Amino acid sequence: MTVTNATFVIDRQVNASPSRVFAAFKTLEAKSAWFKTPTECEVLIRDFDFRVGGVERFRARWPSGLITDFHATYHDIVENERLVLVYDLYHGDEKLSVSLQTIEIRAEGDKTRLLHTEQGSYFSGGLEAVQGREHGTGWHVDNLVANLEGREGRAFS
Amino acid sequence: MTLSAVTQHLKVLEQAGLIKSSKVGRVRTCSLEAAAMARIEQWIAQHKLFWERQYDQLDAYMAQTSHEGTE
Repeated sequence: MTVTNATFVIDRQVNASPSRVFAAFKTLEAKSAWFKTPTECEVLIRDFDFRVGGVERFRARWPSGLITDFHATYHDIVENERLVLVYDLYHGDEKLSVSLQTIEIRAEGDKTRLLHTEQGSYFSGGLEAVQGREHGTGWHVDNLVANLEGREGRAFS
Repeated sequence: MTLSAVTQHLKVLEQAGLIKSSKVGRVRTCSLEAAAMARIEQWIAQHKLFWERQYDQLDAYMAQTSHEGTE
């Protein structure tokens, strides 16, 4: 079992005001209009408790028979500004990852800048779909080579 | 970097399937597992793509409901 840590950022402009964007995260009805599986999926469990400490759950069966389970807890909510959640992602009974997600919403003219920062621990096990590493270990290799050649390693980026 | 640190680094990389190594006498030769390095990006890319798609759907939902805008 190996663990990978990685961060990615999604930076988008949404053509709506921050309050409308935030409203799309706030209720199950609004969220289900965009945060959804393809129609061929069967929703098995869908819980939504939008408050600090509240749990959101989305368990679905895909046409292939695969069951995915998104199990999130809200850690911080600031109206029209940000939300922070931690989610576990399962395929079947296997936990694939634990991720910290920060979503920031800022006014940009009459639109919204949405910044999604996600840092996760990804576990590889018997699942061939899950691979261990990303460029963080490329850094590892680069620095090893640099050290062997007597050069300074570079900072992680 | 000390030899033992190098050895430790190599062990981690080999356990991760990122390098292959073989030893002949006192010489250990390591090579990058090109396939593993290519796969490295995949899992993170899949996660990121999933969320990008959800935000595409958010864009569509905002467009559909733009008549409901409140300030």
